[in-house]
Amino acid sequence: MIARLAITAMVFSLVASAGSLRAQTPAQQNSTDQAIQSLELHVKMYPQDFAGYDGLGAAFLQKGRETGDADYYERAKTALAKSLDLDSSDPAAYSAMTHMAVACMAEHRFRDALAWAQRALALGSGDPSPWAIAGDALADMGEYDAAAAAYANLENPLASEEEQRGLSFERESRLSSLELVAGHTQKALDLMRSAVHTAIQTRMSSENIAWSEYQLGEELFQAGDYAAAEKADRAALEEYPSYYRALGGLAKALAAQGRLDEAAEHYRKAIAVVPFPEYAAALGDVDSKLGRTEQAKKEYELVGFIGRLSEINQEIHNRDLAYFYADHDIKLDQALLLARKELEVRRDIYTWDVLAWALYKNNQLQEAADAIAHALQPGSADALIFFHAGMIQERLGNASMAKTFLQRALDLSPQFNVRHAESARAALAGLQALEAQSASAAPGEVSHAR
Amino acid sequence: MKTIRLMIMVALLAPAALAQAPLGKPSPAEQAIAWAQAGIKQDASRVQPYNDLALGYIRRARETSDVRYYEQAEAAIQKARKIDPDNFETSKAEVMLLLGRKEFATALDSARALNKKMPDDVLVYGLVADADIELGNYKEAEWAAQWMLDMRPGNVPGLLRGGRLRVLFGDAEGAMDFYNEAYQKTPPVETESQAWILTQMAALQESAGNIDAAEKLVRSALDKFPNYYLAVEAEAQVKIDENKPAEAVQLLRERNGQFPTLASKYALAKAMESAGMLEQADGAYAAFESAARAQIGAADNANLELVHYYLGRGNNPGEAMRIAKLEAARRQDAATLDAHAWSLYANAWYVEAQAEMAKALAVGVRDAAFFYHAGAIAARGHDAAAAARFLNEALQLNPPAEIAGPARAELQKLQAASAASPALTSNAEQMDAAGMATP
Repeated sequence: MIARLAITAMVFSLVASAGSLRAQTPAQQNSTDQAIQSLELHVKMYPQDFAGYDGLGAAFLQKGRETGDADYYERAKTALAKSLDLDSSDPAAYSAMTHMAVACMAEHRFRDALAWAQRALALGSGDPSPWAIAGDALADMGEYDAAAAAYANLENPLASEEEQRGLSFERESRLSSLELVAGHTQKALDLMRSAVHTAIQTRMSSENIAWSEYQLGEELFQAGDYAAAEKADRAALEEYPSYYRALGGLAKALAAQGRLDEAAEHYRKAIAVVPFPEYAAALGDVDSKLGRTEQAKKEYELVGFIGRLSEINQEIHNRDLAYFYADHDIKLDQALLLARKELEVRRDIYTWDVLAWALYKNNQLQEAADAIAHALQPGSADALIFFHAGMIQERLGNASMAKTFLQRALDLSPQFNVRHAESARAALAGLQALEAQSASAAPGEVSHAR
Repeated sequence: MKTIRLMIMVALLAPAALAQAPLGKPSPAEQAIAWAQAGIKQDASRVQPYNDLALGYIRRARETSDVRYYEQAEAAIQKARKIDPDNFETSKAEVMLLLGRKEFATALDSARALNKKMPDDVLVYGLVADADIELGNYKEAEWAAQWMLDMRPGNVPGLLRGGRLRVLFGDAEGAMDFYNEAYQKTPPVETESQAWILTQMAALQESAGNIDAAEKLVRSALDKFPNYYLAVEAEAQVKIDENKPAEAVQLLRERNGQFPTLASKYALAKAMESAGMLEQADGAYAAFESAARAQIGAADNANLELVHYYLGRGNNPGEAMRIAKLEAARRQDAATLDAHAWSLYANAWYVEAQAEMAKALAVGVRDAAFFYHAGAIAARGHDAAAAARFLNEALQLNPPAEIAGPARAELQKLQAASAASPALTSNAEQMDAAGMATP
């Protein structure tokens, strides 16, 4: 399950925009290291400077984002806690609190993220940016209406024109994801294109621009426009070379266009930057399709290994591992356990979807149908969810519904998944054949009865 | 003053972006306390959770009017001090505690010291402004609040101080704008803060005679934060204005069921008197008087209520003047100056009363009761034109106010005297010329 439109990923764009950190959170990895070094020196020299610790915390968050190493989130929290020890009641403390919320989002502690964002807002700083994190946390908790209401607050008439554009970027990029969840694909794309335009116009950091382009690529992929998705990911890589999200997105778009060797190459590049389990799983699927069975096996082994590297990794990758186990029919009880565990903290449509898929694989079909209904409830137009819904209905014997869902998946995005697009086609063909068989058998039976 | 824009309320009464906390859910202060306690459990060696705990208890005191929370706040501050004796946040919490306990002069000294130490801390300016407002140092308060808004435009603490000052400066519309902006920027989960702002707005509307608007705002505050004692007190005031004192009595009885303040006890006694429940009112007044007298020398007292009681049903103008003088020596805010002036008037110190009243009004405050007092005092000072102007101002500002009857009577007396005495003709002519005759 590579890069479903994760709200969690968005929060990092705010690292650079909350407070006065824009200049202190460089996009490039090396400059992040430099920033960390410089801020560590700064807080040593000025141990009472709360803003210095806040900046250091933000830099650690950025480093965590760049490397995928969850230890940086711990270090960020330590620095931010120190900042809040020095100043936590002044409106200026909203920045450290917002960064604390971002750290919680990175660790998938959505309730804590919401609480920190609300604390930041309660200080009444006049900067609406904590609403973004509040909305993100709510969206991950499946409270989409409340998330939309939170995002609507991302306005500040008192702000400078540049700041207003920044807020407009935060608002549009997030609302785009919500529109996608609601199945309003065109509206989502329009909003995301506008966000990309704003990011470029306002000369945001390279990483921010690249993120918005990558995000547009993800939405285009969901809409089945793989060539456009490829273009968006390539633009992201041009802006910010070796951006692992864009490498993963590009690999996916290439695979969907049948360019499997190129896809494998880009997945490898992404893994070299950040070894996320979903990339290893996708690479395994591509290699498997290319007939490189041994290679694929190694990559699949890597998935579980990465996921178990640390306690925090387990928390962060619950959903990806659950998808992986269910997709590959391994550790199915574990897949269900992980999906259920994820649902305790995250109740967005994708978690309902993985739960449904794990239930299906564990032969708990009625429960799977209930879970997939939650995933479909907002009206989402997501090919993978349609595929899962189709497969569940097929096993439940609801041929007509199954055909509808499978057809919708393939209509929306004919190559939505390296592994499953073919399965969808096969299942649909099977259902159609059965239908044809029963249609041809039916008159005969009548005739026979006569 | 009817021009306060009611369209503001349309936005206010619209459904909140995030749902309000339902009954039974921890209040914002309780959540803050739980959060701080969890932080202490996680790492008892850190100072900040104790600061958070202190602020949580101070907030809880505001949510409930239960002043015992201040003791818990104090205990948390002491623990924080043990960990880090010089922690700036602990010092801020200490000032907030002093303000909660109404030790305004000490709070001002401490806040000024903090401001000197950290001149870019926005909230410290707010603490300076709070103490200055309470002590009547309005110019200094304005300076501090302006700094807040200049340093961080649109920040909510700054808007709230600005709103309060605009009320005192007689700019009700400007105050409403600030309160409205602060309300819009307050997250809906901060239910008590929202209710607090709505209650301030309700009081503003009530003081302008916009009773319907005030009532709607009060209802909205109670929706946000059910049973909020400040909103119930404001609702009772609305009922008095609507000439429904029995309903006010009922509301205040309920309000006083938990953590009554001396002021709320006085309000209940007064409402009973208005409702003609004289025997019960006398009992309530007696209980109030005894409790309030025990606090005369304390920082958290009800001296102004005591003054007004002795000038009314208590019928002891001498004692009223003595207490008013005591309080005026402590603070020179508009309400204290008005009470002092009114007590001087009741004891026939008209010239002194006029001087004190002039000081009360100098800041620009527009309050019907103040204008009525000013009018009555001016009348005794043989300044009929000023008296008529003030009395008419009182009646125009807030026609349904409690003082409307006495103000009208005073104005009629003034007109009768003017008609009877040729010496006063010039004053009467001035009154007519200014278009300030009795409505």
